Amino acid sequence: MAITDSRSSTSPPERSGLAKAFFDARIRSIVFQILTLAGVIGFFWWLVDNTITNLAARSLSAGFGFLDVSAGFGIGFTLISYTEGDTYLRVFAVGILNTLLVAVVSIVFATILGLLVGLARLSTNWIISGVARAYVELLRNTPLLLQIIAWYFGVFNLLPRPRDSVVLVEGFMLNNRGFYMPGPVPQDGWGLVVAAFVLALIGAITLYKYEEARRDRTGKSFPAISSGIAMVILVPMVVFLATGSPMEWTMPVLQGFNLVGGISVPPSFCALIVALSAYTSCFIAEIVRSGIQSVGKGQLEAAGALNLPANWTLRRVVLPQAMRVIIPPLISQYLNVTKNSSLAIAIGFPDLVSVWMNTSLNQSGRAIPIVAMTMAFYCIVSLSVSLVMNRYNRSVQLKER
Amino acid sequence: MTIVFQPKPSRPAPSNVVGPAAWLRQNLFKDIPNTLMTILGLYIAVTVVGWVLNWAVFNAVWDADNRRECLDMVGRSGACWPGVAKWLPNMIYGLYPKDQVWRINLGFLALIVWMIPLWMGGVKSKVAIGLSAVLLYPFLASYFFLGGSKGVVWSALIALGLSGFVWVWATAICERVTGLSVGEWIGRRFAGATEDVKQKRVRQIAALLLFLVCYGVVSQWSLPGVRTQLWGGLFLTLVISGIGITFSLPAGILLALGRRSNMPVISLLSTLFIELFRSVPLITILFMFNTMLPLFLPEGTSVNQLVRAIVAVCLFAAAYMAEVIRGGLQAIPKGQYEAAASLGLGYWQTTTQVIMPQALKIMIPTIVGNFIGLFKDTTLVSIIGLFDLMNMARAVGEDSDWLGLFIEPFFVVSLIYFVFCFAMSSYSIGLERKLSAGRDR
Amino acid sequence: MRFIAITSCALMLGAGAPAFAQATLATVQERGMLNCQVGLPTPGFYALADDGTWSGIDVDMCRAVSAAIFGDPDMVEYQSVTSAVRFTSLANSESDMLSRTTTWTAVRDTQLGLDFTAVNFYDGQGFLVPADSGITSALELDGATICVLTGTTTELNLADYFRANGMSFTPVTNENVNVLVETYLGGGCDAYTNDKSGLAARRSAFPDPSAHIILPETVSKEPLGPVVRQGDDAWANLVRWVIYGMMNAEELGVTSENVAEMTASADPNIARLLGTEGNIGEGLGLSADFMVNVLTAVGNYGEVYERHIGVNTPIGIPRDGTLNALWTEGGIMYAPPFR
Repeated sequence: MAITDSRSSTSPPERSGLAKAFFDARIRSIVFQILTLAGVIGFFWWLVDNTITNLAARSLSAGFGFLDVSAGFGIGFTLISYTEGDTYLRVFAVGILNTLLVAVVSIVFATILGLLVGLARLSTNWIISGVARAYVELLRNTPLLLQIIAWYFGVFNLLPRPRDSVVLVEGFMLNNRGFYMPGPVPQDGWGLVVAAFVLALIGAITLYKYEEARRDRTGKSFPAISSGIAMVILVPMVVFLATGSPMEWTMPVLQGFNLVGGISVPPSFCALIVALSAYTSCFIAEIVRSGIQSVGKGQLEAAGALNLPANWTLRRVVLPQAMRVIIPPLISQYLNVTKNSSLAIAIGFPDLVSVWMNTSLNQSGRAIPIVAMTMAFYCIVSLSVSLVMNRYNRSVQLKER
Repeated sequence: MTIVFQPKPSRPAPSNVVGPAAWLRQNLFKDIPNTLMTILGLYIAVTVVGWVLNWAVFNAVWDADNRRECLDMVGRSGACWPGVAKWLPNMIYGLYPKDQVWRINLGFLALIVWMIPLWMGGVKSKVAIGLSAVLLYPFLASYFFLGGSKGVVWSALIALGLSGFVWVWATAICERVTGLSVGEWIGRRFAGATEDVKQKRVRQIAALLLFLVCYGVVSQWSLPGVRTQLWGGLFLTLVISGIGITFSLPAGILLALGRRSNMPVISLLSTLFIELFRSVPLITILFMFNTMLPLFLPEGTSVNQLVRAIVAVCLFAAAYMAEVIRGGLQAIPKGQYEAAASLGLGYWQTTTQVIMPQALKIMIPTIVGNFIGLFKDTTLVSIIGLFDLMNMARAVGEDSDWLGLFIEPFFVVSLIYFVFCFAMSSYSIGLERKLSAGRDR
Repeated sequence: MRFIAITSCALMLGAGAPAFAQATLATVQERGMLNCQVGLPTPGFYALADDGTWSGIDVDMCRAVSAAIFGDPDMVEYQSVTSAVRFTSLANSESDMLSRTTTWTAVRDTQLGLDFTAVNFYDGQGFLVPADSGITSALELDGATICVLTGTTTELNLADYFRANGMSFTPVTNENVNVLVETYLGGGCDAYTNDKSGLAARRSAFPDPSAHIILPETVSKEPLGPVVRQGDDAWANLVRWVIYGMMNAEELGVTSENVAEMTASADPNIARLLGTEGNIGEGLGLSADFMVNVLTAVGNYGEVYERHIGVNTPIGIPRDGTLNALWTEGGIMYAPPFR
């Protein structure tokens, strides 16, 4: 922006000394910046000084020494092994992993659901678009905290007890203690299957890149995506069968109070995922809808005039343009999901905020290090996600000439 | 001789495209997949609504003295409303003394009356009226809600609020009736139509007189103090989100300008602030302000818990608003800046008169969306123990007569939130249509 | 640069100015109000009525201290704090005392900048299970899912008990009792654990109280009592001796009804308690007859107990023969003598 500069060049010529400096925009801006910086630094200095004084006066400790002390409380759901005797540091790790798990799973479901609802809102069927609209308005206009509680008590807590679990498919069961599914136990040779999968994936990506380059060069096309997908699925499958199916499954079975074995997630996790996905899907639906509607009618007509097949119109004309509108708000929705997962505290799912900033803080009383670590985690996640997504975003944006 | 063109009346549409049956066919049962989806959609809607109605209306208990009676009558298959009814005043006003509740009502009524001119035809100074509601009303409201002893400064501020109120209605009536602003009208009435300087003086005297009269009124006016610890319920929710919304707009504008500034220090600091507050959940910010703010301040400074929560909400909201405004600023074509510069406008003139009005106008729907989000987010103050709507609902279930009454109050709270948010979002959609009507031609 | 130097110097001076912690009693008297922290409403201990008044056994501790200082039990400003922030906010000088069913433990007493004054209720953790589950002992809970209040000693005791007995469990945690109770009633956990006082109170509000039993085991010691900030011994003494005074009064048979007549009592113990002989109040910075004010306004310990959580209240926790009975009646409520 060159406004201040152009202004300074037209400023009256005859002024001397201080007045001259005052009217020079550049000097003014430098002085202003120095003052601001000094103010901010002074302010933080003051805060830190106060904190140190206060901590000493209240015989509180701000150190990280408590991290290797045994925490002594149980956690209901952990991705890594955890026992009551483990340290606070491990509690932190458990919390981080749980938060990330909730965020990733919710993002996946929210995106799928949001896409469906967004398309449903564009439907010509009055009932479908009506139901979709009611869904969006209802969920968007009530606090997420209430929705999480509602899903927990309205649905997951009302499921039958373990003894009369709802069996969805053999091995997949739902009851008021959670959702149970068979757990994979890899046998010898599983490594080969994984290796085959990775190779196939690399191959598929190379194929796609090659196809793109060739199409740009010669204009000839080749179904790279479908053949790539086929490759990624078929190759590992062949290896899997060839090595004699190196995977066994443990089934959840009723034993004592609960189902034992397999993989299970608690009802609070299910409620959180459903609530987060449903809530976020409303926003994603609106984003998708506005993205698709933003593609001009003329674009479709032009595609029609070129006699492009329908899926080409979608893939090569509509989506690339819609994506440009969709991506930036979508990024912030994904970040919102990560942040909103902190509401898990309301139904007691042990995410970072619940298990670390609430339980651990309370049991150890170390407010400063615990709050600082929590905020640092969220900052790192958010900033790195926005960094990656912004780079992608820049690559698809319109280049203004 | 003139030939008058006389069109033949158009023929009625074929019977298969008009009438309810055709509408049904067209919209609901066009083909087999559509029909299936219609049935599925209807099924979902009917089941959910039926289930909720059964619990909340048909099976519910409307008259009982305590929860045990409810449980004896219908068990858990129906809602138990008497407990919620008993606590409803608390869910709205918190623990505010019952004989002082009129102050809250009057305070909010004053805001509504203040804003009425915004929707009146023939009123021109709508921007000024809107600004006065944001900048001056809080002083008036603060005394309504807090009461207690007021020093000279606070009295002056309250008087300013009161004179703002008088000015708004004087302006509204004057502009509607005479078409002149109230200042012009007074000037012409008492100083004749021509003399500019004299008119200005008269206007200043009138403003001073108004302020002095208001100050006199305020100094005579005394309300008993109500501590903020007693604030709660919907009232507290509205106060927190109201202050957050009021603060977030100007602070967000400054931050957004700071982030786009070409002074590296300013832009870096603004960016740091925005990114820091946007990247952590509100819950953690509230937690930090609640547990750690007293540690940051000199010993012996005590900051009210409500103030801490409000500060946290304000900073959080400002960071979000800044990004929204920045989006608006980015949408302004470069040509606008260049045009302003070619007219010789300085930075502040360009910003306030050319760029901001356009940027704010395009972002209005998003800004309102942000307000809705903030309003919903205030539920989180319940987690640090303020008696907002959520915690007041929770208190119902801890009353020994209604022990365990938990779902019903939450249901009511959800309804209240829904009504508020839906009203706001409908208004925003209406506004969006009205604004885009000028653009989409 | 000069500006920076001056600013930062000024700021540092401001921050480094010697901050003498004024004695809490003087602060309270100056303010004319006692700041007292209670919890989120809980019947019997700190219940909130719909007219905004607080009541309960823990609230009465605050009222008693207020009566001792001001002669009026209602000069109290209540703050409701969650269990997560209670210690930080007390240590941060946001209140003068915390009376909130807080368990006295070594870590809390020594590492969080707090001082426990006296025990006003002895509790112990127990388990509530559905009667039809067939469970009769906590030792049969191996592998169970258990609902537990988070951020409390209860959560730690539960883990300790299961570890000590070589059993495993899955916790379902929350900081809202009603959420846990709803979860438990819906079958989301096999047992609900809390202090036994709380279990009985909650069970009474179940749709069918007889369908749930409290297991016989008491798995922890929970001495509950008011907490003050560390570093002001005089204030800790004041709170402590107001509570001991109420226990002594019960022992001596002084109640809110007969306290006026008792001032004429010839019993030297009563005379010392009520300040007609000696001046114990002086050492606490109070008037000699501060216990008369306390007893008139709030009553003795027994009265407080029966008024809020005794058998004639909805909470209905029997006192006879439990730890909370006076030492003369088989309990361990044993206040040091008032002399």
